[in-house]
Amino acid sequence: MTGNDIVDIKLAAAESNWKRKGFLDKIFTLHEQQYISDAALPHEMVWKLWTMKESAYKIYTRQFGGRFFAPQQFCCTILTETTGLVAYNNTSYQTITVIAKDYIYSIARPAGVKKNNLINSCFYLPELHNYKKQLFIYKKIIASYNSVTGKMKKKINIIKDKNGVPFINCGNNLQIPVSITHHGHFAAFTIH
Amino acid sequence: MTKEELIEKLKGIVKPYVKNEEGFNNLNEHTDFLNDLKINSANLVDVILDIENEFDIIIDNDSMEKMLNVKAAMEIINAKLAEK
Repeated sequence: MTGNDIVDIKLAAAESNWKRKGFLDKIFTLHEQQYISDAALPHEMVWKLWTMKESAYKIYTRQFGGRFFAPQQFCCTILTETTGLVAYNNTSYQTITVIAKDYIYSIARPAGVKKNNLINSCFYLPELHNYKKQLFIYKKIIASYNSVTGKMKKKINIIKDKNGVPFINCGNNLQIPVSITHHGHFAAFTIH
Repeated sequence: MTKEELIEKLKGIVKPYVKNEEGFNNLNEHTDFLNDLKINSANLVDVILDIENEFDIIIDNDSMEKMLNVKAAMEIINAKLAEK
């Protein structure tokens, strides 16, 4: 089981003023705020920590259900330049983060769980209306799942449970977890 | 403040962050900030800070957890105003 989250760096700079009074306090622990003030590129650290928290939240809600907004309580520890840990409510998640020129992208999985047969893709998202954007991403997921498993494309469906958590279903009782993220011109997903 | 007045104030607060105009035009008590208005979750923090400023209240972590829709926001604002 995985969760993933992406931030379009340019769009984040336009949409969010993280220097706004109170903003960091609502999202980050003091320890995390220290990472930000110590960072050579503080804005990258802000969004890196944010994607770590969001990707961990996505697994947590898949595992335990519910919906809530408690970013500060997902506590991040940075281990190396690319890896980290996120702890929430006695559960912990390991993360991998990629900082590219235009986006920051994190994948989380429950801590201690070995790498499984993860299907993962990160791609450019053209300017589209909300509905078409979703179709574009779903097509990518279906194509990718088809190429890995050989399942017929028209049999692959993407469904959401009542909390909006997405799964892949191929017409049987099996629900394959898929985590989907998009922001601005970038989108990504992880399957399994 | 009546329910309608509070909803109007909230409409003004969320407007800059809305990504789905249709959801915004139909905004009501049952509107979800993320699913219906497509506000991105980082901007939900701005909505919360704007609510704090507008009503001169402090939204603690426990309240913030529930701030996903108009109904919850209204309940939290009313509770915090009553505490004043």
